[in-house]
Amino acid sequence: MQASGGGAGGAEGRDDQQSSRTPACQSGSGSAEGEDVHRAPEGRGVSGRGRAVMEAAVARPRGERAPDGLGSAGDVAPLAVRPRRGEVVLTLRVPFQSALEADMARRSLLPDAQRHQGLIRKEFAVNGSDLLVRWTAEDLAFIRLSLNPFLDQLSLVIRNIRSLGIPPRQSLS
Amino acid sequence: MPAVLGFEGSANKIGVGVVRDGKVLANPRRTYVTPPGTGFLPGDTARHHRAVILDLLQEALTEAGLTSEDIDCIAYTKGPGMGAPLVSVAVVARTVAQLWNKPLLGVNHCIGHIEMGRLITGATNPTVLYVSGGNTQVIAYSEHRYRIFGETIDIAVGNCLDRFARVLKISNDPSPGYNIEQMAKRGKKLVELPYTVKGMDVSFSGILSFIEETVFAMLVEITERAMAHCGSQEALIVGGVGCNVRLQEMMETMCQERGARLYATDERFCIDNGAMIAQAGWEMFQAGHRTPLSESGITQR
Repeated sequence: MQASGGGAGGAEGRDDQQSSRTPACQSGSGSAEGEDVHRAPEGRGVSGRGRAVMEAAVARPRGERAPDGLGSAGDVAPLAVRPRRGEVVLTLRVPFQSALEADMARRSLLPDAQRHQGLIRKEFAVNGSDLLVRWTAEDLAFIRLSLNPFLDQLSLVIRNIRSLGIPPRQSLS
Repeated sequence: MPAVLGFEGSANKIGVGVVRDGKVLANPRRTYVTPPGTGFLPGDTARHHRAVILDLLQEALTEAGLTSEDIDCIAYTKGPGMGAPLVSVAVVARTVAQLWNKPLLGVNHCIGHIEMGRLITGATNPTVLYVSGGNTQVIAYSEHRYRIFGETIDIAVGNCLDRFARVLKISNDPSPGYNIEQMAKRGKKLVELPYTVKGMDVSFSGILSFIEETVFAMLVEITERAMAHCGSQEALIVGGVGCNVRLQEMMETMCQERGARLYATDERFCIDNGAMIAQAGWEMFQAGHRTPLSESGITQR
């Protein structure tokens, strides 16, 4: 899990299955070189569990390159507005089994995301088979208030997809 | 013969129902009950709903004997109601609609009650008294729309009764209103000032009878006024408080005096349920309504 410019987001990303994207977060067990860093991702059959990665950053003043949590993932369409001075940004990356599933989750969660737009800004994107969510607010407390209920709703969507399953014709496309 | 799946969870009841052409094929429901002296909070209620909704969905399909292929439309409560519970149910409706590739329909909770009341009772064009924990309105259908003729200017009558039960620590199982009603039946004395002390003991059932008689009389008056205004010969009670037999008796007396007919449903359909959302969704589906995903956000008011 990467942390830049400030505190790191606290949650699920800090587990043993480190992906090769985060060499900075090797476990501290003194294991043999490379043993923990390049472990294969756990069970492809599992969507959205355990490997959610969070990055939290304090926006740097204009003129420097602001941390670009969602843009750094690769070919993501750039999202709305850069954080302003003093704003806090939290990015959540949730891996799914496929782009279809990630987009389905996005479309289920997005319509209610605008409910507290005055205090926080929440943006969604899909990159590959990852769902990306970015919170921007003036105070980390607002983000914390939004994050927990969001994780509950996300968990429900994931359970829903798992329990009903993607129909064969949809997963082919 | 379209079959509609309906999700309801705007307050502390979560229900999933299936309706096809005027027949309720399934209507399982769970209630989030809190300890005596407490009410239900949005976050806890949403947590309860999230824990059971997927099981309820399977239960509804099994009871109806249907699979996803047989369902033509997914209806859900768009509002009004409590935010977090509404969202918890809406995300499942959206996900199911996408997984099964079916159209989505956001339904107004109040209209769900009315449409189910009409379906079950056969009332043609009634003046509606809608009374529950969250709503108190007198509604009539006039010129292509449901219109509110009268309503509470502050809290719903069910909310009044629920809060009263909370103060007296009356049990919330199965609902505070039900327990108030049972206790009030035992009240033998209707007193103007409900201060009932017998030596070192106190009696509360007189107070509850007083509460019921007073608030229900208020509701009867405004319903009668609306019926007079509309020249209506039918009255329909919907909403959880409509289960109350004393309210039904008082409304029946008023209707008889006017030569009008009273309709009411039993607790399966008075109390929030999934089938009423499915039924209202069925009407909307037949009329060609659809709710695009992008416009499917919940509305608390």
